[in-house]
Amino acid sequence: MLNNRSPLIIVAVSLVALPFALDLVGLPLRSSIDVVAFAVACMGLNILVGNTGLVSFGHGAWFGLGAYAAALSQRYWFPGSITLPALFAIVFVAVSAVLSGALILRRRGVYFSLLTLALTALLFAISYRWTEFTGGESGLGSVTRATVLGVDLERDGNYYWVVAGVAMGVCFLLWRFHRSPVGSVLVAIRENEQRARFIGYPTNRYKLIGFVLSAAIVSVAGTLSVFNHRFASAEPLSVAFSGELIAMVVIGGMRSFLGPALGALFFILFREFLSMWTPHWLFYFGLLFIGFVVFSPTGLVGVGERLLAPIRKREITAAAMAGRKTADVLSLPPSLLRANENDLLALSARNLQKSFGGIHAVHDFDLSVRDKTLHALIGPNGAGKTTAFNVLSGLYAPDAGSVELEGISIAGLKPEDITRAGVGRSFQITNLFVGLSVEENIRLAIQARSHMRYATWRSTASLTDIQAETAELIRYLGLAGIETAEASSLSYGGQRVLDMGLALATQPRILLLDEPLAGLAVAERERIAKLIKAISSEIPILLVEHDIDRVFRIADHVTVMNDGAVLVDGSADDARNNDKVRAIYIGSGTAAVAMQPRAEFARSDQLLAVDRINTYYGKSHILNDVSFDVRKHEIIALLGRNGAGKSTLLKSLVGIARPEAGSIRLLDQETVGLPSAVIARRGIGYVPQGRGLFAGMTVADNLVLGRLKRTTGDGIHWSDERIVAIFPRLAERWDTPADYLSGGEQQMVAVARALAGNVQVLLLDEPFEGLSPVVTQELFEVFDRLRQEIALIIVDHHLDLALGLSDRTVVLERGAVTWNGVSTLLKDDLDLRRKVLWL
Amino acid sequence: MLRFLPCRVFRVQYVFVLEQVLNGLLVGAYYLLIALGLSLIFALGGIVNLAHGGFYAIGAYLAVILTNRMGFFGALIASPVIVGCFGILIERFLFRRFYRSDPILSLLLTFGLAMVIEQGLRIVFGATPLPFSIPSELRGQLLVGDFIYPRYRLFIFGVALAAVAATWFIVYRTTFGRVVRAGVQNPDIVGSLGISLAPYMTAIAALGVGLAGLAGVLLAPIAGVHPAMGAEILTAAFVVVVIGGLGSFWGVIAAAALVGVVRGITIYFNPSWGEASMYLLMAVVLLVRPRGLLGERIEKFE
Repeated sequence: MLNNRSPLIIVAVSLVALPFALDLVGLPLRSSIDVVAFAVACMGLNILVGNTGLVSFGHGAWFGLGAYAAALSQRYWFPGSITLPALFAIVFVAVSAVLSGALILRRRGVYFSLLTLALTALLFAISYRWTEFTGGESGLGSVTRATVLGVDLERDGNYYWVVAGVAMGVCFLLWRFHRSPVGSVLVAIRENEQRARFIGYPTNRYKLIGFVLSAAIVSVAGTLSVFNHRFASAEPLSVAFSGELIAMVVIGGMRSFLGPALGALFFILFREFLSMWTPHWLFYFGLLFIGFVVFSPTGLVGVGERLLAPIRKREITAAAMAGRKTADVLSLPPSLLRANENDLLALSARNLQKSFGGIHAVHDFDLSVRDKTLHALIGPNGAGKTTAFNVLSGLYAPDAGSVELEGISIAGLKPEDITRAGVGRSFQITNLFVGLSVEENIRLAIQARSHMRYATWRSTASLTDIQAETAELIRYLGLAGIETAEASSLSYGGQRVLDMGLALATQPRILLLDEPLAGLAVAERERIAKLIKAISSEIPILLVEHDIDRVFRIADHVTVMNDGAVLVDGSADDARNNDKVRAIYIGSGTAAVAMQPRAEFARSDQLLAVDRINTYYGKSHILNDVSFDVRKHEIIALLGRNGAGKSTLLKSLVGIARPEAGSIRLLDQETVGLPSAVIARRGIGYVPQGRGLFAGMTVADNLVLGRLKRTTGDGIHWSDERIVAIFPRLAERWDTPADYLSGGEQQMVAVARALAGNVQVLLLDEPFEGLSPVVTQELFEVFDRLRQEIALIIVDHHLDLALGLSDRTVVLERGAVTWNGVSTLLKDDLDLRRKVLWL
Repeated sequence: MLRFLPCRVFRVQYVFVLEQVLNGLLVGAYYLLIALGLSLIFALGGIVNLAHGGFYAIGAYLAVILTNRMGFFGALIASPVIVGCFGILIERFLFRRFYRSDPILSLLLTFGLAMVIEQGLRIVFGATPLPFSIPSELRGQLLVGDFIYPRYRLFIFGVALAAVAATWFIVYRTTFGRVVRAGVQNPDIVGSLGISLAPYMTAIAALGVGLAGLAGVLLAPIAGVHPAMGAEILTAAFVVVVIGGLGSFWGVIAAAALVGVVRGITIYFNPSWGEASMYLLMAVVLLVRPRGLLGERIEKFE
C-alpha cells in the first residue's frame, strides 16, 4: 500500500469528507476533531506496535504529557499563543522519550511492554497528585486557542481545518518514514531482530528512533486534543486510555498503514452510538477486542482484505523456485569485495577456551584461515565444532584466548560490531526475514553498509546504488526471477542460498557458513558446493559441515576436532588419509568389551514396525521414507553420521517429533499423531541425549516422575529395589539432586527413570557419551541383560560398542536408510564399515 | 529529665519507622500474592496474565456477596475457590490457544480480558465502591510494648504468609509440584515419561488466579471494593515481577519484600512519594541488573 500515493489521497479525501459525514449522523465538529486526533495518535503508536513489533501499553503517557505541556506552557510562558506551546510540547515529549526510551528499550518483548505500563502508571500517579501544578483530579482548564495568521481558531470550523492540515502533514511524514531506510529496518527488527544485528544493524539505536518519533507524533495528537477541548487532565495518562489506543490499533489493523486510523474512527463511532443505548459500551468494545485478537489479529483491514481477495487480482508468485532464471556461476560482484592489503591471516584463533557449566566444550583451540581459501571444520558429534564456530562468529564470548580478524581482535564484540568488522555468518537453522521478499532480505543486508542507513526521508526505492547492488547479488546467487517471492515460500534449498546471500551481502572479510549443505537434495548440494568453492577464490570461507565426502573434495584446508580440541589440521588429503580421523568416524575395531560374543535372544515376532515415515523440521526434510522393524528381545543399533536424522528418528518414535507421513505401529497399534504422553504410556521408553534429568530434583524425585503415569501396561516396570540392585551406586545417591551427580550416575538415573514405568521398547540416544571406561562397561552389561526383557534401539557414535551390543544395525544417511543388516557383518568387516559409514 | 529526652525521642522515631517498615512488608505480602500467581502462570505456560488484577477484583466482589451468606471466614475460603474455577475456564478456553503463539498476542488477549472484567464488574455492581468493613472479630489493635498495630492487618499478613508457604509447599514438596517444575524445565521429556501436562497447566492457572482472588478478599475492607481496583494493584504487581524476574519463585518473594520495605520507608519521610518510589526502585534495579534480582533468562520473552 505504501508503494504509491494512494494512502495520501485516501487520507486527504477522508479528512475533507469526515465532518460532513459525521454531521449526517448527528455528531458535532468536536467529534470529528477527536477522530482525527486519535487517528494521529494511533498511527504514531503503530510505528512501534505494527512496524517494530514492540507493544507499548503506555503510549497514552505521551498524549497526556503533550497535552499538559501545551496547556502549562501556554499558561506560564506563552499566553495567548497556540503555535509556541504546541512546538514546546513536541520538543518536551521528544526529550522525555529519549531519556525514558534509553532505559526501557534495554529490555525487549514482554518486559518492554510491562515497563511501558509502569511508566504510564507512574506518570498518572504523579500528575494526579501534583494538584498545584496539574490541577489533579479537576484538571487544567482555561486553555485558549489563538488567532493565527488572521484566522480565529476559537471557531471550531476553522480549528478543524488546522487539525486536518496537521494530520495530513503527519501522514505525509509517516508515509515517507515507512518507506525510508530507517522504516525498513524497523520492519526487519520485527521480523527477526537477531538476524538484523547479524547483518550489521545496531538495533537498539533504531528502536530508540522509532520510540521517539512515535512519542512525538502521539504528543502532537495530545496537543490537538487539548486545544480542542480546551482542557488538560490526567485521564489520558491512565492505563485505561493507553489500552484504548492499543485496542484501536489492533481492531483497525496493525499491519496496515491506515488501519490504526480506521480503528480510531471505529472507536469514536462505536462509543458515540453504543453509549446512546447503554452506558456499558466499553464492555462490548472489550469483547470485540478479544474477538479480534483471537479470530483476526490483523484487524478490520485484515477482514476487509479477506473479503476482497476474490475480487482483487493478486499476483500469485508461482511455486517460487519455478520462476528462477538461473545462469552459470558468474563471478562475484566486485561491490562485495574488500581488499586485504597486508596479506594477514583472514581469521586466527589462539588458545580458545569455552566452558558451559563444568563442561569444557572447547579447549586449547587454535585455528588459522588464510585468505582466499576454503577451510572446513569437521568432527563427530560432541566434538565442539558448533561451540567453536559460535565463538568465532561472535555469538559467544570466549572464556580465554584470542580471535583476530586480519590482526584485529574481535573476541566478545556485539553481533552488529562483529559484522561491521567483517565477519559474515550464515545460520544452520533458517534465520531469514521470512515475511519479507527475497529482494528485501538482500537489500537490507546491503543497506546496512550504506551511509544512507539512518535516512528517514528518502525512500528506499530511490537509493539506486543499493538497488543495483541488490540486483547484482541476486543474479549471482541464482535467485533472479523470484525477487518478489516471500522468503518463506522458497524451497529449503532456496532458503539456504538466501541465508548465505545475506552473509555475503555484508561485504565480509571472511564468510562463516554453518552447515550450508544440511538437509539439501543431491542436486542442490552440487550447485551450492560449486558456489561456495567459487566464492572462496575471492573471499576466505570457514565452514562447518557433516557431508565429509564433499568437504574432502572441495576444501583447501581441513581442521578436525574431537573432544573439544583440534585433532588434525592440514590439507584435505592429510585429513582423509589420517588413521586417527578415520578411527573417530568408523571406530578402530578393538574395544575389548565389544569383542566377546553375545548371547542372542531375538525372536521373530514384531514389536515395532516403522513404515516410510517422513519427518520435517520446518521446511527441512529430515527423515525420508524411513522403514525398519524391531522384534522382541532384539537390540538395534542406529548408526550414521551427524545430521543423518538419528535423533529425529528416535523423537519421532516417542512422539516428540511428529511424522508428516508414514506409520509407526507398536504391538500392532498405530502411534503416529498421538501425543508423546500417550505413546510413552503404551510402552516406548526414552533416554534422550544429554540425559534430560530434572535439575534441582533428587534421584528419587526423578524416578517418581518416571513412574507416575506408567504403572499399567504389559511391559517391564522396575521397582526401586530392582533399580538399586542393578545400579548399586545409586543407593547412596538417592537423595542427591540429579544435577550434582557424575556423568555416569546421571546416565544410570536416566535409564532407571525410563525403565521405572511401562517399557516394551527402550530408545537410547548416545548413552555412552562422556562416560569413563568402567561405567561404560557397567552400562554395556546392563543393556546386554536387558534384551532378555525388552527390545532396545541404541544410537551411539562409539561404533564398536553399538555394533558389539546389537543384533541388527540400521544405517541412516541424510534421512534415508542406506543399510540394514546383521551387526556382526559390520563389526567384523572393517572394509564394509568403511564403505557404509565413511565415504 | 533533660538528659533522657533525646533517647526517648529517638526511641519513638524508631518505632514509627518500624511501623512503616512493617506496613511496607504487609503491602509487600499482598503484592506477593498477586505477583506469585502471575509468575507461576508465566513460568509454566509462558503467558503474562494482564487480567490478573481483574481476578483480584472478582475475589473482592465475591467477598462482599458471600459474607452476607456465610460470614467473612466462609467467604475467605469460598471466594478464592470460585475465582480459581474461573481460572480453569479461562485457561481451558482462552490461554490454551496461545501457548505456542507470539507472546504479544497473549499480552493483547489478557489485556482485553482485563478490560472486559473491569467493565463487567461495573455493569453488575456499579461504579461506586461497595461498602465492606472489617469483620468485628478482627477489629481493634494489638499492643506489643511501645508498638501498636491494627489486628486486621496482622491477620492479612498471617494469611498471606500462610498462602505463600502453602504454595511453596505445593510447588516444592508435592509430586504435583515436581511435575510442574519438570514441565517448566523440559516439557518434551515430561511428555516422554507418559505425563500429559495439560491438566497441570490448568491447575496452575487455577492456583495462580485463586491466589489473586484471595488477595482480593483480604484487601476488600481496606482498599475499597470498586471496579478499577484491579488496575491499581496490577501495576504494582508487575513492578514486583519485573524486579524479581518473571518465572523466579524466590526472586519474586525477595522483590516483594524489597518493594514493600522501600515503600514503607519512603512513606515515613514523604508520604506522597510512596507510590512513585517503587517505580524509581524498578528503574534503579533495571539499570544495575537488567534481568531482575534473580531472574532467569527466558529468551522467548526478551
